[in-house]
Amino acid sequence: MVVKRAVMYWLAFGLVVGVALLMWKPMVLVYGIQSAGLYAAVAIPMALVLGIVHIVNLSHGEFMMVAAYATYFGARWLKIDPYVALVPVALVMSIFGFIVYRLTIRRALKSPELNQLILTFGLGIALSQTVNLIFTSQSWKMYLDYVSASATIGEYDFGIYDFVFVAAAILLALGLRLFLTRTRMGKAALAVGQNPRGAAIVGIDVDRTYAFVFALSVGLVGALGAMFLTKQAIFPGVGGPYTMKSFCLVAVAGVGNITGILWASLALGLAEALMNSFRDLRDWSSIIFFIIIFATILVRSIKERKA
Amino acid sequence: MSNRSSVALGLAVFALAAALPLLSGILPAIAGPYPMSLARSVFTYMALAVTWDMLLRSGQVSFGIAGFYGIGMYGSAIAMLRFGLPPLLSILAAGCFAAAIALLFGFIILRLRAIYFSIVTLAMAEIFRIILHNGGDFTGGAEGLILPNLISNGDSSLYWLALGGVALAVGASSWFERSKMRFALTAIRNNELQAKSSGIGIFKYMLIAFVVTSFIQGMIGGIQIQSYGVASPDDSFSANYTLLPLAMALLGGVHSTIGPVVGALLLGVVSEVLKLKLPYGHLVVYGIIIVLVILFMPKGLYGFWVKAAKDRRSAAEARREAPHA
Repeated sequence: MVVKRAVMYWLAFGLVVGVALLMWKPMVLVYGIQSAGLYAAVAIPMALVLGIVHIVNLSHGEFMMVAAYATYFGARWLKIDPYVALVPVALVMSIFGFIVYRLTIRRALKSPELNQLILTFGLGIALSQTVNLIFTSQSWKMYLDYVSASATIGEYDFGIYDFVFVAAAILLALGLRLFLTRTRMGKAALAVGQNPRGAAIVGIDVDRTYAFVFALSVGLVGALGAMFLTKQAIFPGVGGPYTMKSFCLVAVAGVGNITGILWASLALGLAEALMNSFRDLRDWSSIIFFIIIFATILVRSIKERKA
Repeated sequence: MSNRSSVALGLAVFALAAALPLLSGILPAIAGPYPMSLARSVFTYMALAVTWDMLLRSGQVSFGIAGFYGIGMYGSAIAMLRFGLPPLLSILAAGCFAAAIALLFGFIILRLRAIYFSIVTLAMAEIFRIILHNGGDFTGGAEGLILPNLISNGDSSLYWLALGGVALAVGASSWFERSKMRFALTAIRNNELQAKSSGIGIFKYMLIAFVVTSFIQGMIGGIQIQSYGVASPDDSFSANYTLLPLAMALLGGVHSTIGPVVGALLLGVVSEVLKLKLPYGHLVVYGIIIVLVILFMPKGLYGFWVKAAKDRRSAAEARREAPHA
């Protein structure tokens, strides 16, 4: 009952904040939800790898960046829309993810956690610097008509395209839940995540499951890279911040808690949008993210220590 | 590589490292301006690599080297521009400033472990950058601060300063290796619970390590701004200052003083050459080195060489004993 009561309090708190924002600054609500969608969508595949392979992938955002570059040049060459390129890019990225897993991650599964951390950090650098080497640090952008779609409600006029990221986040969260609970592979993955040795004893191929989950995660973040390209300019360092943001959202939500990521992203998106709505605070809006990380990680670690 | 030749090569590299103090002492007399500036850059990264390793000995990976280095650059610039300190004192002030901030943050973040510690150090460097970026006229905003009067431009005094910085780092590191710090940090790394129950004041030792390394990193930043003359949010906090020292220490061999020194010697020279050849993306080499070292040589060159030497010795002993058997 204690847990239920806490949930009720949070719901009530969320409702109050939501209504207050709606009355006071409705635009904050719209933009906050939109950016929360992108944060959550990128963070969910990272949570998948952390929950099942138990690897913190510090090259997560860089995989998204590589996918965005692949989409940009593929789409420009074939003169197609990024959304048409999305599926092939996701497939190619998951093959790439599989290769990276076989060559590097697999060899470090038994290493100390810190070695794994430095390994994926190095992988991220290798990815972003390879792109830098080939395409220089110049930024590229696609100009598409449909991203400027807007809607008008009452006196407010706002862009609605970014809601695709919200849809993507919700789809990912639902899809992953279905995958993990309804499919054979998903159930196996969940078992491996809980106890790799036990899973191996009952006959699950742990190595194959890890490879599949890692490839799936890279494929998903690759698909997001294609979507990312429709709205944003890309350059070699564009993925880095998303690695950090994703990790933080996962850490805030707690390992294995995908719904938690949605809520954490929402809180972050709204806080940033609120800061952005004040002219004097706009420059400081990027710091709120780091303060939230700092605070939640501290609270979490203190809680864990007590437990 | 055969065992014998690897030992010989290792001996050569480490003999070079041992001759380094002598060599660096006579360098200004024999070298031109380019080797001198190359040496300065190598010394800077060497000091950062050694200090990163000093904290790593407690088992905590910091991704925040660039944070304290950048704080040092700004600290020195602010001390000179806003408080009128002479350059040498401003370097000391930069170190103290970085140490004070480390002390403040240390009370909070040194309670974190493993991945949480690493991520928070990364976030901390970002927080420093954003604060200095938005600091208005006092910190110069996005353009940063420009020092009008540097310590004599192009003179060898900059070289001696950089050498002094590295000497300080190496000195502190060998103090860590020879004093109680070594046992405390190693115990924390190997088994924190056991260390705690045998009466080691974990937090105290971690705080000392964190503050000392941040002090040196801040001073290195203060020294470096004397040759750059500019502190800006993007350049001073560039990820290079985290990435390069990390790769150097890993390649040379962590948990030692000699490892990071050798790594910085090798990669520092390579870095300068690559920077000229590849203006974009020369850092890819560092990413690949980090990955390869972690996968195939987690103890680095030094660890590899120690093991090769040991194997050789035991093989020789086996040979000697064989006829008697």
